Parts: sequence; C-alpha cells; structure tokens
Amino acid sequence: MKHLQIFLIATAVGICAAVTASAADIKVIANPNIGASSVSADELKGVFLVTKSSLSDGSHVEPVLEKDGPVHEAFVKEYLGKTDSALQTYYRSLVFTGKAAMPKTLAADAEVVAYVAKTKGAVGYVSAAASTAGVKTLEVR
Amino acid sequence: MQVKTIVLAAALSIGPSLLHAQFDFRIDSRDVQVHSFASQGLLYSNNNNYLTMDTSKGSLALTDFGVNVSTAVTDKFRVGAQLYDYNMGLLGNFHPQLDWAYGDYKFKDWLGIRAGKVKTVQGLSHDVQDMEFLHTWALMPQSVYPMDTRGDTIAHIGADLYGDIGIRKLGSFSYTFFGGTRPNDANGGYLYGVDTMSHVPAPQGGFMYITGQTKDVTYYGGPIYGADLHWATPVKGLLLGASYMFQDITTTGTYTKPVVVPYKLTTVKDNATNFYVEYVLRNLRFAGEYRAEPKIVQLNQPSGVLVQGFQDSRSGYVSLSYRFTKWLELGSYHSRYIDNWPVTHSDPRNHIFDQVFTARFDIDRYVDFKIEGHFMDGACIDGVLDHGFYAAPNPNGLAPNMHMLVVRVGYHM
Repeated sequence: MKHLQIFLIATAVGICAAVTASAADIKVIANPNIGASSVSADELKGVFLVTKSSLSDGSHVEPVLEKDGPVHEAFVKEYLGKTDSALQTYYRSLVFTGKAAMPKTLAADAEVVAYVAKTKGAVGYVSAAASTAGVKTLEVR
Repeated sequence: MQVKTIVLAAALSIGPSLLHAQFDFRIDSRDVQVHSFASQGLLYSNNNNYLTMDTSKGSLALTDFGVNVSTAVTDKFRVGAQLYDYNMGLLGNFHPQLDWAYGDYKFKDWLGIRAGKVKTVQGLSHDVQDMEFLHTWALMPQSVYPMDTRGDTIAHIGADLYGDIGIRKLGSFSYTFFGGTRPNDANGGYLYGVDTMSHVPAPQGGFMYITGQTKDVTYYGGPIYGADLHWATPVKGLLLGASYMFQDITTTGTYTKPVVVPYKLTTVKDNATNFYVEYVLRNLRFAGEYRAEPKIVQLNQPSGVLVQGFQDSRSGYVSLSYRFTKWLELGSYHSRYIDNWPVTHSDPRNHIFDQVFTARFDIDRYVDFKIEGHFMDGACIDGVLDHGFYAAPNPNGLAPNMHMLVVRVGYHM
C-alpha cells in the first residue's frame, strides 16, 4: 500500500514537472543585430508589454511570442506577471485603439528561433533545451 | 427589424472568420494588420425601456461592429484607422463612423505623439469601453461608461502626448496629455436626450412629457483637454490612476415650438475628475473607479431669457471577477450614479444604483458569450440628462426599480 502511495505521488510530481516550466527552463533569444547581451527583467517586461520599443543600447526591438504551452505560460507568469488570458486582453486593448500591432505569435520553439534569426530587432523566448543556432541568447538580469 | 439585426450580426460574425487567412498582409516589407469585431445583445427588463430599446418586451436592438487597419510605416511611426457602426434602440441606426484614425510617432519610450481622431484616455477603460470582448461584463458600469453617449465622448479630434516612464523601485508611470474637440454623434444619446427631455415629475409619480416646447437639436461639441496618469505600483498587480478633463461644450439647434428660434446651450464650467484602482492577483481582478463632474450650463428659453443650470454628478463602481478556467469567468459589480450630489441621494429620482452578476463563457479564442443580471434601483427620472432612461420610449412613466437580463455574444479577431 505504501509503495502504491509513493508510486502515485512520484507519478503526480512527474506529470507536474512535465507540464510546467520555470524561468530556469526558458531562454530569452534575440536577433544578432541587437547589441545588448543582457536585459533587465523590467526591460524585458517593457518589450513584451510594448511600452519599450528599444533597449538601453538603442536597438529597436519587437516581441515574438509562443502561442501556448508550458514555456509560454511560465514566461508570461514569471516575467510579465500576467496570465495568458490577461495578456491577450491587454494586447487586444492596444490593437483595437490603434496603439500597437498584435505581436507575432508562433507555434513552436523552432519557429520562434527561425523568425527571430531573420527578423531585425526580434526578441523571443524558447525552452532552455531548444537549439538556438542563428540567434543570440540574452541574459536576464 | 429584429430578423435583419440577427442576420446582419451573424454575417458580421461569420464573415471575418471565413476570410481569416487574408487579414494580415505585407506592403513594401511592412506588415499590415486588419482586425475586426462584432457583437449582438438581447435585453429583457421587467419594466421600463432602457437605452431607448424596447427592453420591457425583450429587445435585440443592440448590435455593433468595427474593423481596423494599421501598420508601422517606420520603427517609430504608426498609422491606422477604425470604422465603427452600431444600432442601439433608437440610437446609432447603422450610420458608420470613423472611430479613430491617427498617426502615432514615438520619439522615445517616454515621449510620443498621436494626432488625428484619437480615443480619449480617461480612467481605467474609457478608450476601450465599447469592446465587450475585453471585459467580463455584457454592459459596462453605466454610471461611468454610458453606452448611449459613447459616440460623443469616446474620442477627440486633436492630439495626445504620451509616454511610459519606469522608475525602478517605484514601479512605472504611463501618462497621456490630450487636447482637441469633441466629435458630434448626430445619432447618439446626448442629442436624442436633449431633443426629447422636455419632461417634469408628475404629482402621481413618474413624469409628464411636455409637448408645449419642442426643439430640434443638431450639434454637440467643443474643445476638451485633460490628462491621465496610470501608476503600476511596486506592489505586484496593483495599479492606481487619476484623470482630469476640462470640457467647453456647446449644443445648438432650433426651438420648433412654441416659436421657431435658435436653441443654444453652453458650458460655463464642466470638468471631470477620475480616480481609479485595479488589483490583479492571478485570476482574480478587482477594479474601482470614482468620477466627479460638476458643471454649470447656460441655455436660452424660447422667450429669449437666459437660464443657468447646475449639476454636480458623481459616479463610480467596484467590481470583482474571477476566471475559473480558460472558458469561464464569473464577476459582479456595483455601480452608482448620483445625478446631483447636494440633493438627497436616496431619492430614486436622483440616483441609479445597479447591482450586476455576470457569467462570461469564452467559446474559443475569438468568440464569447455572456449572460448578466441587473438589479437596478432608481431611474433619475428628473435628472438633468437621461442616463439610459429616456422620456420618449417610456410614455407611461418610469418605475423606480427594474430588473434586467442581458445576453451578449461577441466576436473579434
């Protein structure tokens, strides 16, 4: 009986670990034209809330998001302090008053990396395990 | 009429989704985005006709839709425009209007300028009050965001100076200074109300409609200017804000009875002050707003005598909502409008209190469905303006209390 309990708990923990992610599981990536090698958490939040259109080195930036998934959920929660639903509402309020465009949203890590690699000023996030050839990784201070 | 409304709303809802693939395109390597929305409402009240709709019999006459196009011409310069159309009972009548259209140049993150027809930033939601898909509610708190006067108040033709300033330990500030002129919504509630407001309280309760004096009011507008400051405080999820707006409004038309002479109402003093708060903790959202708008106006009687009117209205609401799942959100708000603050607040002729309970269902990412109960106390029967309870659609007078069911379906992309 005790073994069964341990097995169930271990399974539950395993499932949770599989479907949730934390800041440590996320890499923030940028197009190589961006001069900075790191960003502050406030700067990163500003970029993704579209209140910041350039970094401290003067590089113009535009956010790139993943559509959904544990990495997206963790990024939105950890760095933006919002739920996905609240973030979408926030973007729509900007789009329907003309204050900003809807940010580019892509389905998977590979798509985000490919888009960021070819788009000047693009900043995105992917899972820490993703291949990031062609882009630079930004350290978040 | 109702069948037409349903068919139109359905077409507007389905059409964009069929054309979804065509709605983002590129011109000269720049992305052009096209977004649209539409909504359809059903209102049913146990008595009184609200917002010029036949709500006491059940009304589907609440339809709106809009489409916008925007693009970034350069990294710092954006242009865009939105077309909007609506019908609400006797208002709107499907006359399309340019909702906003402006150029936006951002010098720095802390300084930008928008010029053209710009949505007026005031309070938590003034500039987005009409987009039902952004809110939990089927009807926003009507004390602060009256739908019937939306077309007159939601935007100004002029310019904004705006910016975002982050101050590390103090959070961040977003400011907007605005100035310009009010547009005239010829089919809106303000002109309709002034046209038909010739009523006085009747001795037996309710009011009498005076037919001895009629007018045809055709213009409302004038300069406005003001400022709004949002402060995202260092406390996670807590936002505080304040706004101020000065208005110098002129309303003109013609008395058509008992004599044909010009009608003119001018603002001697009209300034609105807002304070607001929002607190978000994961899926829980609390919001509250308070607005004070003392005003002095002057108008000419058909005899030529100038009359001064004074009104000190106060309005506000508190709301609480919780999103349980991706598809379900429940919420409630309590909204209060006092037409004239120095007069007894408990008098139903001087107030409208509205307790609201809402369930919002997000069918998918683009479609929402809301069902909402309103428990309203007071109808501002002899208010300076009508605030949803107009004389003409209620020829037998207004009851002091009303319950109302609102169902609304919305689409956006």
